[in-house]
Amino acid sequence: MSLKHVLTTCIYCGCGCGLYLTENDGVLTGAYPSVKHPVSKGSLCVKGWNSHEFVNHMDRLTHPLIREKGSFRKATWEEAIALIAKRFKGFMKESGSDSLAFLSSAKTTNEENFLMMKLARAVFKTNNIDHCARLCHASTVAGLAATFGSGAMTNSINEFEEADCFFITGSDTTAQHPLIGSRIINSVLNRSAKLIIADPRKIELSKYATVNLRQKNGTDVAWINGMMHVIIKEGLEDKEYIKERTEGYEQLQELVKKYTPEYVEALTTIPKEDLIKAARIYATTKKAMIVYAMGITQHTTGVDNVKSLANLAMLTGHVGFPSAGVNPLRGQNNVQGACDLGALSNVYSGYQSVTDENSRLKFEKAWNVNGLPGNVGLTVTEIISALGEGKVRGLYIMGENPMISDPDQNHVRKCLEKAEFLVVQDIFMTDTAVFADVILPGASFAEKDGTFTNTERRCERVRKAVNPPGEAKADWEILCEVARAGGYTGMSYKHPSEIMEEIRTLTPIYGGMSYERLDPYGLQWPCPTLEHPGTPYLHKDKFSKGKGTFMPRPFLEPKEPTDEEFNFILSTGRIYWHWHTRTLTERTSTLEREAPAPYVEIHPEDAAELGIRNKEKVRVISRRGQIEIQALITEKVVRKSCFIPFHYREAAANVLTINAVDPIAKIPEYKVCAVKVEKI
Amino acid sequence: MSKMIEKKKIKGLLKEAVKQWHTYVPQKHIGGDVLIAPLPEEAKELEAALDNISLADDDLVISPKDIFFPQLETMFKFKKGEIAETVESSPKLLFGIKSCDLKGILFADEFFKRDFEDAYYLSRANERLIVVIGCINPPRPGACFCTSAKTGPFAEKGFDLQLVDNGESYFVETGSEKGEEFVAKYSGFFQDESGDAEKAVNSIKAKAEKAVELKIEFQKALDLMANDDFIPEEKYKRIGERCVYCGACVYTCPTCTCFNVFDNAKGDEGTRVRIWDACIFEGYTREASGHNPRNQKWLMACRRYEHKLKYDKAKTNMSGCVGCGRCLASCPVDIGMSKFVQEITEDKKIM
Repeated sequence: MSLKHVLTTCIYCGCGCGLYLTENDGVLTGAYPSVKHPVSKGSLCVKGWNSHEFVNHMDRLTHPLIREKGSFRKATWEEAIALIAKRFKGFMKESGSDSLAFLSSAKTTNEENFLMMKLARAVFKTNNIDHCARLCHASTVAGLAATFGSGAMTNSINEFEEADCFFITGSDTTAQHPLIGSRIINSVLNRSAKLIIADPRKIELSKYATVNLRQKNGTDVAWINGMMHVIIKEGLEDKEYIKERTEGYEQLQELVKKYTPEYVEALTTIPKEDLIKAARIYATTKKAMIVYAMGITQHTTGVDNVKSLANLAMLTGHVGFPSAGVNPLRGQNNVQGACDLGALSNVYSGYQSVTDENSRLKFEKAWNVNGLPGNVGLTVTEIISALGEGKVRGLYIMGENPMISDPDQNHVRKCLEKAEFLVVQDIFMTDTAVFADVILPGASFAEKDGTFTNTERRCERVRKAVNPPGEAKADWEILCEVARAGGYTGMSYKHPSEIMEEIRTLTPIYGGMSYERLDPYGLQWPCPTLEHPGTPYLHKDKFSKGKGTFMPRPFLEPKEPTDEEFNFILSTGRIYWHWHTRTLTERTSTLEREAPAPYVEIHPEDAAELGIRNKEKVRVISRRGQIEIQALITEKVVRKSCFIPFHYREAAANVLTINAVDPIAKIPEYKVCAVKVEKI
Repeated sequence: MSKMIEKKKIKGLLKEAVKQWHTYVPQKHIGGDVLIAPLPEEAKELEAALDNISLADDDLVISPKDIFFPQLETMFKFKKGEIAETVESSPKLLFGIKSCDLKGILFADEFFKRDFEDAYYLSRANERLIVVIGCINPPRPGACFCTSAKTGPFAEKGFDLQLVDNGESYFVETGSEKGEEFVAKYSGFFQDESGDAEKAVNSIKAKAEKAVELKIEFQKALDLMANDDFIPEEKYKRIGERCVYCGACVYTCPTCTCFNVFDNAKGDEGTRVRIWDACIFEGYTREASGHNPRNQKWLMACRRYEHKLKYDKAKTNMSGCVGCGRCLASCPVDIGMSKFVQEITEDKKIM
């Protein structure tokens, strides 16, 4: 008998908890929290505690598969890789590099994301590379970079334990980032910290709130401007901070003038007294942390929403200190890292722009290639549409499942069906993989070495505990083989630590992150040199870009407001028990048992009007499609609105959602579309 | 004449023991976490592992119950109608566990043979030798309450050997014939104690008891629960509402033994597996119709307290809580048995 415990980083959310996987004779038999790890501190959420189970699942992909005459057959690695190289090079020759596209993965390691973008850019010469950050925090990356100069969480997770005010909007924190949510609960109950929540939906934290603002979906700019109006009117702004550390204040002052509490109440339904109360508490508490997630970003005004929160924080001088800042909570275990490492259509690793000639020259030299493309590439939703239109002829998807995760599923299906050549690299046969021409079996987080970067910018180690099943391989190894078959000799590594050495030399914010230094619990970027201790909070003394820039934005309506026929607002999101497209959690017995079926949350009065009983199946219809789904009658949602978890293929919320996107960030508006609800 | 063993001889003893036993010892990882795992048999790996053993009063996150009752356990494999049992059985030496955890193991032993004999557990636990090292300082300060639960910091019985830390050496207490045989077999590592060992041991134990600072009225709580004394619903509610359903209190508990059974299968081939379950989950009592007799958060939370303090005690005359404090230490929102006991016995709001 062999039994060992291997310290690694959790695969689920952006908290990045340290956990031990128990390996017993080649099988994972447990997952335990690390006591000394700065985030987990001896605790985990239920997903972390059960993170080992799916790894053992019999459904794992164990051999490369090639589609032949409508079905899949087993293939060797050599023929699968050769086929990909041949087809991709053929498309490149016939239709140019931009007929290819690559979707990277926030579930894979930093090293793998770096290699995916290197594969796209250096080998196949296209910037058509993107990943699911586009669907979650693209607005943050754009909005905070413009205002502060850095699109990441400003503070550290442990700073939640010292904050005196939490201002949470669009984050169901206990469900999505449980170990941040629990720090908020403890702070409120043990230390009487103030809690302001602005969320249309009642969440677990609502019962602890000092003020609950339940805005109408899609009106965020209006109420944030309203708060700033109140703060300026009552003289609660931080005049010195504004003068010394920011620019553009006059324009803000001018813009928010008309957002009186009365006007805001009319737009958002937030009672003016509550708005004023929230503004006063936030403005007058020094250690105040804004916390937000998809409720802010997933709108056609996502960037405006983020900029408005940044304005609010600068107005009150609440950025650049411990326990005070703007904290976008990153969803995936490594979505921060996938962005940092350049799996985005416009930047190389470390947010170095592809349109900047110096950056291109730097990467050309390092990668020993010529002619890196200087045009910004296509983003996730654009890639899928271009696939349907035949403009993208070859698509390589690593560890993503757009069939469930992207908006307007019927559109996505049509595009995937039309795909000329689709490669999917994953650990299970996903709803997307069934459309593939070649399927490559990857390794799970427990089967490879690497690093993830959590939401507080902590780059930490992922360690191999077991071998991948069958012939499956680590994603970084597969990407290197594809590069070699594509005729590129600059992608050969013995171990992910060698990839990290390359990352370090090309990526200033990761400059000091050697594997030796990442033991035991990682380092927080920016960490530019081997001597640098890492950075727990950003914008100390001055903003990353110098002066912080106020970027006042006017309120704009969502793309698809309700009307007489489609009279309910639909919002979608995640629940505590499941992870995204459910690929992992439907194969985790405890999690699947707790939440086995999809549902739509609907207000009791609306249900009564429609004659719907609890747990009765109803039909939810949008302009794009319809689903049949069980009704869950609850006061969590306000009248004439409903909420559907997006995890379930059985009643996919994304059949209904709209693929309207933010003009800058290209993020879809998952949080507002118009639907009708019918009794069946 | 009583025995003692010098600390510097422990490694040598374990190196010998590995030849006969799967030797489970607390081992330190990078960063300082300590987990209990078997020593490897291969010489080089063994040397490295011995360098990392830790017999101080470390916080083992998980009680050693997982040695006999792993979090995830394959019960049998099946293929085309053929079934192959995967019962594990081997001699195990548990070296350096704590008295609360010993109590937990004894409790689980009892459970797994009470109504029917659980072959998987009993076969794993069948041949074993337990060496307790009493705590000089509580591993989870502020959470440990063994002196109140009367389970520590030193064990009174149930161990094969118990070591009492005396600085450079341990006094050795023998609790069973098997323990005596062990000392005899490895006699070269032990030596006779010449001084007044009993007095020294008593003084060490008394000091260790004082080091456990958290004192709660545990017996009073047991009595309240046993007598069906009214426990205000709002207390359960406040605790239950705070819970975030991670399962840690149950997973880390030395006496929690609930599991769920499922098949990991593809076609007609696969394994039947059991995995730790937790009574704080909604699905734990959800019926096939969807009806759930424990349908509210606070009802789910309180069944754990009722079980540990009332039903276990009534059924076995042992409390289902051993005072290890892991439920509190691992709870992300600071709920734990000690706080519940304080709430119901001290008539004040703790949480």
